[in-house]
Amino acid sequence: MRPNDRKYLKSHEWCKVEKGIATVGITDFAVSHLSDLVFLDLPGKGTSVTIGESFGEIESVKAVSDLYSPVSGEVIEVNKELPDNLDWLATDPFGKAWMIKVKVTAETKDGMDSTAYDAHCAAEGH
Amino acid sequence: MHLRLLDCGLVEPALNMALDEALLHGPAPATLRLYGWSPHAVSLGWFQRAAEFADLPAGTPLVRRLTGGGAIHHGCELTFALTVDAGLLPTDVAGSYALVHDALAAAIARVGITTRRLEHGHAPAARPGSRWCFAVPGRGDLLTTTGKLLGSAQRRLARPRARILHHGSLVLRRAPLTPFTAAVADTKDPDAVLPALKSAVAQALAAALGLATERDTATAAEMTMAMQLRAERYRDHAFTFGR
Repeated sequence: MRPNDRKYLKSHEWCKVEKGIATVGITDFAVSHLSDLVFLDLPGKGTSVTIGESFGEIESVKAVSDLYSPVSGEVIEVNKELPDNLDWLATDPFGKAWMIKVKVTAETKDGMDSTAYDAHCAAEGH
Repeated sequence: MHLRLLDCGLVEPALNMALDEALLHGPAPATLRLYGWSPHAVSLGWFQRAAEFADLPAGTPLVRRLTGGGAIHHGCELTFALTVDAGLLPTDVAGSYALVHDALAAAIARVGITTRRLEHGHAPAARPGSRWCFAVPGRGDLLTTTGKLLGSAQRRLARPRARILHHGSLVLRRAPLTPFTAAVADTKDPDAVLPALKSAVAQALAAALGLATERDTATAAEMTMAMQLRAERYRDHAFTFGR
């Protein structure tokens, strides 16, 4: 069961907004389809991120994928431990493996709830 | 829908990388570009640190790939760049490699070389034992009895539309900096089999994707974008050496 307290993107990022601060990560579906994660590159504190644009990159099995931001705003915190503990993405993608926290100026209008995202994954997972 | 086939011959390293990125961003649903390298060059994987290659012979051309994995010394080889809408390949990364590598194994077999896809090799590691792609065969790689013959890497975009660039390097003759690879030359004359090999690669990949091949050339718009990327990214010192 995916948490229903957050929004999900078609590109498999999740976003939980509380008191104007968005916590952003990637979903279990993304992690399982990437497999064998080897590198994660996240932005620094103070970086501006924009809805729909790349905020970082992840490499698995020699495949580099961009990570897309569900919000616009300023990065106020980065999970600095995550790049050295990529197994957290498999064991706790919606908790310990959060990636960035953003002071939100705008949120995507394309976010799905968990039910809609489950259906999206079912359709994509051919 | 067709698989566009661009047989580009020997191309300058920065332009090779720029063309592949232009095709990744371009409108064509599926394109296979076959090429070689002139001059021979070393390509770094996207996340590799250029400082690790300070010991290369002076004057060795160096470019950074958009794709992941380790460095490759592109000597005499058949390189391919498959750029497709993501829906044409399996969603999971490992499955997409399996599809491409099985097609390549079939193509290589058509010129009389037997390979096997490594099913249970090393998984990629965050701190790999070698900086070279071909040094340590990993899960999914194509091997002959003398070593790794084919190396691959990918770039995946989800926006503005879901696209995949799959790079593959098939060694024809061993490159001086990576003498541990296998090579077509171990059993066949590369010059003699190259035309058949190119044709077989195109046919096998097209069949695997359920498409028919169509010979083509890069469009003016693709070339314009490639020339811009070549100047602004792939020939830019900071882009190549910035990591």
